[in-house]
Amino acid sequence: MIKKQDVFFILFFLLLAVVLLFCFNSTKSTGVAVVERNGTECYRFDLGKQKTTQIIDLGGEYHVKLLLEPGAISFRHSDCRDQICVRTGKLTKPGQVAVCLPAKISVRIIEDKKTFDGFTG
Amino acid sequence: MNQPSKLNLSPRTRSVAFNGLLTALALVLSAIELALPPLPLLPPGAKLGLSNLVTMYAAGAVGLAPALCIAVIKGLFAGITRGFTAMLMSLSGGLLSTLVMWLLLRIKSRPFGLVGLGVAGALSHNAAQLLVASLLTTPAVLYYLPWLILFGILSGIVTGLVLSVMMPLLDKFTID
Repeated sequence: MIKKQDVFFILFFLLLAVVLLFCFNSTKSTGVAVVERNGTECYRFDLGKQKTTQIIDLGGEYHVKLLLEPGAISFRHSDCRDQICVRTGKLTKPGQVAVCLPAKISVRIIEDKKTFDGFTG
Repeated sequence: MNQPSKLNLSPRTRSVAFNGLLTALALVLSAIELALPPLPLLPPGAKLGLSNLVTMYAAGAVGLAPALCIAVIKGLFAGITRGFTAMLMSLSGGLLSTLVMWLLLRIKSRPFGLVGLGVAGALSHNAAQLLVASLLTTPAVLYYLPWLILFGILSGIVTGLVLSVMMPLLDKFTID
């Protein structure tokens, strides 16, 4: 049932997962949300500069709505059956990502590189 | 499977019937899993992969072709009930994990026990699905990789343990 190799095998992947978790864990507390549809970017929001709460209606077959708040973004609504995107909850830190696979819409947070002008976008 | 048949079924007929039963079992398990409430504290979309039990058993006890067939039918079932993307996810995960478990079972020295096999199957299942998801949307979904590894280990251990309980029962099961 369980052999010694199984234990080594499991430990190896546990270690890998922990190392990856540390690598992916960003120290930055806020970032820029990038919204993509079919793999092409359609919106970009600077979460650090966001002062109000607003709903972004992306429409489409699944009537996806995003909730944009100061420092956070989340899927508010989707007509998809699995609701994985909505259950992912709020994204706040760079690296985090939420996806609605049926609608092919993804939201991810990237680090604010300060390379683009916040006023001209 | 090798006892003399009371119904005079040819070995071919029996194998068709047996594979049909395994397929039905896989479909029932995925349907049950869909009906379960989403598990808290787990990455969104994570499932136990109960129907992997069946492909794992089939890969070991029946053969590669029937096991892959079961994975394909499972994928079509997901397509009918949950849509096209669900079908792609089910097919990619199901086919790769079945292949990996079959290959591991082919190694003469049998380096892994059932738990190790289950974990290898679950990890390859998750890896294939993550790859397809990243192709369909954005490579940023790789952010889920550590969580999918952790959950793959957990669900793989569960499948391995359940299968080690089920195996003797399934081995006794005959169609005659």
